[in-house]
Amino acid sequence: MKKGLIITLPRHDVVTEYLTQFSKQIINEAENNNIPCKQLRDKEVEKDNFEKIVRSIEYKLFVLNGHGTAQVIYGYANQPLVEEGYNEEILTERITYARACDSAFSLGKVAMKKNKEGCFIGYELPFQFYCDITWEGNPGKDKVALIFLEPSNTVPISIIKGKNAEEAHSASKRAMLKNINKVLRKTNPESLAIAEALWNNYEGQVLLGNQLAIL
Amino acid sequence: MKEKNDSKEEHITETMKKLAIARIEAQVPSNLRLSIGSYGRMSKEEMIEHINKLDEIGRKIVESQLRFLRAQASGHLTKELTSIE
Repeated sequence: MKKGLIITLPRHDVVTEYLTQFSKQIINEAENNNIPCKQLRDKEVEKDNFEKIVRSIEYKLFVLNGHGTAQVIYGYANQPLVEEGYNEEILTERITYARACDSAFSLGKVAMKKNKEGCFIGYELPFQFYCDITWEGNPGKDKVALIFLEPSNTVPISIIKGKNAEEAHSASKRAMLKNINKVLRKTNPESLAIAEALWNNYEGQVLLGNQLAIL
Repeated sequence: MKEKNDSKEEHITETMKKLAIARIEAQVPSNLRLSIGSYGRMSKEEMIEHINKLDEIGRKIVESQLRFLRAQASGHLTKELTSIE
């Protein structure tokens, strides 16, 4: 297995556009740390293509952006990319961060059954974030979305910087708590709604497999 | 195709629905949209509609609110927040 990152960036709706825009931080961090990064964009985020690339370049770290369920992480146009009972073994022995709702509830657990070295960090609950429609045309400047997506970026960024899986997972959760603290200090009405959605991600984010996994 | 995470579902009463709707009406401004997993993003009016129908999305929204309220009431939220200071 080689030191490197494969990141999926499907952009077929506003939500996946946001996940893609905010993934620039992760890609930049990989470049800054001389970690090879293979970006799969839009229609390239397709099961057969993903499997082919994973097997050909053998990078250890996966960041999978997209929609999800307990059993499936979806790619472009909500077509299954990794699916329990079909190809979950592709995640075994890798370090996977799945920014896709619910996928840690079952898919992540099944993928880690025969795993020794790798890990799966994802969500047992639906990943939530608020965005401000004012910035829909330029998601990268949406400060409301940043409150949610920056702490989630902390998982792969910490791993890229050499932290192990448990340290990355904990750093991300601490970043969520810090943001909950920040928003609760404000008096605007949306503070509670934002804190509540962040708390959902805080409670839902789990680390499965090898806690000491390192890139 | 999109299976539910059934084991975490709980019985949602009319009172819980009303509470969730009241909180959304008071807290979510018209410029914000909620993205919740596979379900896309939605305005406060759409959130309320899902809760009224108590479909899968509406259920997830109510459950999320209940978890937060319980964390506040039990002191779990405060404990976690103070742990980072």
